[in-house]
Amino acid sequence: MNLANADTIGLWAGFVFTLMIFSYVLGDNILYRLAVYVFVGLAAGYIVVVTVEGVLLPWLQATMFTAEAGVGEQALGLAPFALTLLLLLKASPRLGNAGAIALAFIVGVGAAVALVGAITGTLLPLASATGGAVQLDVLNGFLLFLGVASTLVYFQYLARRDRAGAVRRSLVVRTVGALGQGVVIITLAALYAGAVLTSLTIFSERVAFILARMTGG
Amino acid sequence: MRRLNAAAAAAVAIGFGLFTLVGLLSGPESGLFYALTTVLLQVAAVTAAASILIGILNLLSVHWTRLKDRRKGWGYSLLLLLSTLLVLALVALERLGVVGGSPTPSSILFESVQVSIESALAGVVFFALVYGAYRMMRRRVSGAGILFTVVLLALLLGSLPLPGLGLLASVRDWLAAVPVSAGARGILLGIALATVVTGVRVLIGQDRSYRE
Repeated sequence: MNLANADTIGLWAGFVFTLMIFSYVLGDNILYRLAVYVFVGLAAGYIVVVTVEGVLLPWLQATMFTAEAGVGEQALGLAPFALTLLLLLKASPRLGNAGAIALAFIVGVGAAVALVGAITGTLLPLASATGGAVQLDVLNGFLLFLGVASTLVYFQYLARRDRAGAVRRSLVVRTVGALGQGVVIITLAALYAGAVLTSLTIFSERVAFILARMTGG
Repeated sequence: MRRLNAAAAAAVAIGFGLFTLVGLLSGPESGLFYALTTVLLQVAAVTAAASILIGILNLLSVHWTRLKDRRKGWGYSLLLLLSTLLVLALVALERLGVVGGSPTPSSILFESVQVSIESALAGVVFFALVYGAYRMMRRRVSGAGILFTVVLLALLLGSLPLPGLGLLASVRDWLAAVPVSAGARGILLGIALATVVTGVRVLIGQDRSYRE
């Protein structure tokens, strides 16, 4: 089988699988489920290939399989696999505690990376951009600042218990929080509209692909 | 013994966490310290990658068991296992030089089947989104629902490339530039603040969920 044939078979396979997925519009059915299981199976295969070729083999080549690899490099090369084996022990009720060490390592390193990423990648740039927006355009910049602040207030749940025992937020927090709720609703509506437009674009591309296959284009 | 293990896990999390934090903050100028931090990050990344492989093996073993026991839906499991084997066999044959060409058969399979199914699934989402918006307004009309629908319609209509919709396009642009941007920034800042709080709790040993 030459490559041109493989390409043609691939295009027809794509056509058939697209129709199988679109059959879901009529309700859950066997064709849709077959396509989804093929999708999961192929995805699992590609994940294995990418993980092995993109991460594991380069790591082993850089540590264990170099010409000048000593005991230290070899031990370092094996360390992630030893940690993974420890993680596997988490499934055992008797040896699960040993797995906690590996998990603690990943959680500790991950927490540090997340902390630095959140501060340098989100908190500082967004706070500075929001403050700077007021200088660029006073009215819209102020509205932007108000929107950001009210959104943050909306997501805080500190409250006091009144004399009757009911838990209530203060009037100021409730008012600003209501504004924040409106801002969040508008944001979610915009995200929804973006998702609708994106999926519509992809849907029309798929329909064009089906029509092209059917008309021999 | 259990207590000792718990203390060791907490020491590992706090020790390696603080070491990584200081290494990342001090930057490449700190020399060996930064190099060690990079190695730690690589070890964590490779461990995560190896864990993904274990997850895939678990998926395959679950479907193998279902197939072996002829449980309900075993045909789907067979298809899943065959699909995975097809990819692995194709890639193995390519690496051994038995099959080849440009583009390779595995990339043709990826482009034609995998991407087609992904795109079709993303296309089907369109129907789910439209139906979801319709159901939301049909079940209960509230102030939040009305605001959501009005903004959604304004943004969708404002995106139409039709003459006479200049005002809607301006409204769409303003919405995107001010309230939507503010909401997105507020949500992102909230997530970042929560990440900082959780990170600090882990690094000072207050949060020890890894023991469970």
